[in-house]
Amino acid sequence: MDVNIKDFEGAIAELETIVRRLEEGDLALEQSLELYERGVRLSRYCHARLEEAERRIEVLGEGGELTPAPPSLAAVGEDEGRAVDGEPLRKGRKA
Amino acid sequence: MSSLFDLPFDDDAGGTGAGESAAPPAPRIYTVSELTGEVRVLLESTWTDLWVEGEISNCRLWNTGHIYFSLKDAGAQLRAVMFKGAARALKFTLEDGQHVLARGRLSVYDPKGEYQIVCSDVEPRGLGARQLALDQLRRRLQAEGLLDPARKRALPALPRKIGIVTSIDGAAIRDMLKVLGRRYQNAHVVIAPARVQGDTAAADLARALGAIGRVEGVDVVIVGRGGGSIEDLWAFNEEPVARAIAACPVPVISAVGHETDVTLADHVADFRAPTPSAAAEIVVDAKDAFAARIDRLADRASAAVHRRVLMGRQALQRLAAKPAMAGFPGRMALRGRHVAELLLDLQRTGRDGLARRQRAFQALRLRLEALDLRRSLGRIDARLSQADARLRAGALRRYHASEARLGSLAARIDTLSPLAVLGRGYAVCWDRDRRRILRDAAAVSDGDAVRVTLHRGELRCVVTGRDLPPAEEP
Repeated sequence: MDVNIKDFEGAIAELETIVRRLEEGDLALEQSLELYERGVRLSRYCHARLEEAERRIEVLGEGGELTPAPPSLAAVGEDEGRAVDGEPLRKGRKA
Repeated sequence: MSSLFDLPFDDDAGGTGAGESAAPPAPRIYTVSELTGEVRVLLESTWTDLWVEGEISNCRLWNTGHIYFSLKDAGAQLRAVMFKGAARALKFTLEDGQHVLARGRLSVYDPKGEYQIVCSDVEPRGLGARQLALDQLRRRLQAEGLLDPARKRALPALPRKIGIVTSIDGAAIRDMLKVLGRRYQNAHVVIAPARVQGDTAAADLARALGAIGRVEGVDVVIVGRGGGSIEDLWAFNEEPVARAIAACPVPVISAVGHETDVTLADHVADFRAPTPSAAAEIVVDAKDAFAARIDRLADRASAAVHRRVLMGRQALQRLAAKPAMAGFPGRMALRGRHVAELLLDLQRTGRDGLARRQRAFQALRLRLEALDLRRSLGRIDARLSQADARLRAGALRRYHASEARLGSLAARIDTLSPLAVLGRGYAVCWDRDRRRILRDAAAVSDGDAVRVTLHRGELRCVVTGRDLPPAEEP
């Protein structure tokens, strides 16, 4: 998304720094605007990262291979996303 | 034949008769009680304080508070009793199958004619040895610095993949997946199955820890199991597990048994969770909490920058009230456009945010419907309407506020039209002959005379210096 954003933690930390500097209020207007633009990009990046992962449960075999967890296990914790009658909601609820 | 028949009888009779008169005195005939009493004296005086090692079986706690059991080994059994006073001082519960070292004295239980040991103390034999080994191992690891608090690594705020080392059939993995599902539905989990109990468990756990640390993208590992006896949890006290945790390239959370169980693995791990469920809560903050935190930061940034822009505008307006500010409206308009673009961006963000919140809200509603409404209807209603209000208010407020800001900005830019503002303190600058209006600082040179028409009257001025704007319109 933005090559200058290192990772989630880095983005949050930078966003916090930006907010602090903006709130101190002694920056030139131009600099404030640049920082703010950067802040908007950071917050969008963080939101994107939060949504990016898919729920996946994998099992690591003794040979190092990854296989999907057996259905009995993969279903655990999925209840949160199931309706009363046990029908799964549409796949990828966030989509 | 008769002699053969009679002979034993005669001998016997004769013998008896002879014994009554001349033979040594008849052997003493004990009553059972007397004999038992003598045996007791013999045993009690010989074995007043002894140690004996064996395995417990048939262990019964009587409601008198006394404990009766047997000690056995491959070849023999010994009855044992531990009276109430001594039993109360025991630090653990005697159970069948335990290998113990008992201390006590020998005695006899007359009514049954059984000899027994009356125990004053019992120590778990195997555990004692293991405990000793554990203490030695802990000291060794400490000397190597493996237990040093400074070694502890920080957990990633938002793990990409969560590695879990535990039994794939146990309760622990289900507990953890349940919690993860609730807090962070789209978590990516990689399970490295391992035996968590028994002789091979330590080696297996160590192997799994080594393997999970090498899976690409795994940036935090939970190792643990559900509750059990101290023997069940023992693998987490063994050296291979401790070393594998220390060697893991990413931070490790230990989650062994219950709150009160502390193993060596807990000391070596970067973070100790009291239970597997707690580990799942520690490993990733709730997604909602993340989103809220980011939104709060974004809101603060937005508020701060708008304050700053307002400040800037007020400063410019104060300047505009002063003479010789030709060219200012143009700069102001440029600045205004910049702000307008930013606000558009903000507005877009607001719209995205609104859609995102609506989706989250929809998901929340479905989740709520899935719950047993009768059980907690009142509380859910309150929470729902609160969440509802908060979700809508947050996104809508941001959306409307940015629209309003955009509107008021446009209005302000209009009022800055140069023709409308002479009376408010703007001026018109002419060349020396008052033939043309100066629009470009480049049209005059230093030293040129210019005239400046104010709302009332005119000034004759000399250019003492120029600041050329970067490429304004002609």
